[in-house]
Amino acid sequence: MGVAGSYRTALREAAGIAAAAAVLGFLYNGVTGKGFFRTPTSPGESVRGAAAPPELVSLDEAQRFHRQGSALFVDARQGADFSAGRIAGAISVPLQQFHAKHPVLALIPRDRTIITYCDGAECNSSVELAALLRAAGYTNVKVFFGGWREWLAHGQPTEP
Amino acid sequence: MARPRTTDGAVKLPVRPDLRRVHVTLARIVLGTVFVFASIEKIADPDAFAAAVANYRALPAFPALAAATVVPWVELLCGFGLLSGTRVRGSALLISGMLVVFTGLVISALLRGLDISCGCFTLDPSAATVGWRKVAENVLLLAAAGLVLIGWREAPRFGQATEPRVDAGGD
Repeated sequence: MGVAGSYRTALREAAGIAAAAAVLGFLYNGVTGKGFFRTPTSPGESVRGAAAPPELVSLDEAQRFHRQGSALFVDARQGADFSAGRIAGAISVPLQQFHAKHPVLALIPRDRTIITYCDGAECNSSVELAALLRAAGYTNVKVFFGGWREWLAHGQPTEP
Repeated sequence: MARPRTTDGAVKLPVRPDLRRVHVTLARIVLGTVFVFASIEKIADPDAFAAAVANYRALPAFPALAAATVVPWVELLCGFGLLSGTRVRGSALLISGMLVVFTGLVISALLRGLDISCGCFTLDPSAATVGWRKVAENVLLLAAAGLVLIGWREAPRFGQATEPRVDAGGD
């Protein structure tokens, strides 16, 4: 068997494997009702508990909360980013280090208004941290989706 | 000049045949294990995997879901293929293709400054975010897949002449 034939065999095998995987994948998900075949959750289901999408606040709303001091800003980025610059008064809870017994949880009352943020619209650790905080029992968690970049771009109060 | 090839088309690597067999076998075991392991959580939770794919912001939701339905099964079958020694070169070819695409996605995410988790081995969103380390890992895996692809030959059947042993003058 020549070189071309050998690679043709590999290609044919690859195509067979891919086809088998497609059949298995769709079949499995069809039978289990997952992924492609998941029935959309009803509206009533999605507002329950931590599964509900977090409330997003705009820059204006975030500014208002910040001015009034009525919300705790929680920075979901890595510690180094937090040290380099943050929303004034924010505390650091990097998403990667968050766990159910995180010391910060003992310090924040469960009904405190919390606004999470990360770098900006191109990150999702703020949304994920908000979901984890809600799962940990916090009832009033919002996400400032514009994040650090929008805050900085509009000359809002920062530290250090 | 083209590299010397054996009669069945595999490229002759500049190592002793028995040593090459050891390398290829090691590469098969490592790659196969990695891909079987990587596929399991994604197969169990295609919705979470689809979300991880969508986080890369490279595919619309529908194709991302279709990819999340099929890709983990390709990983599983290729992993089994490599481990069991059946359809080895087809598996290595597919794995190489997937690694090139995955690495492209990771690099593009890094260049766009996306702060997302990889969705590679675990779907836990609080796992470490993607970084250049992941690119380096993938390049190593790609090298292993390339080694299998060019170095693998079917085990000789009984009665079939094997490649003459090259002895480079003792050990």
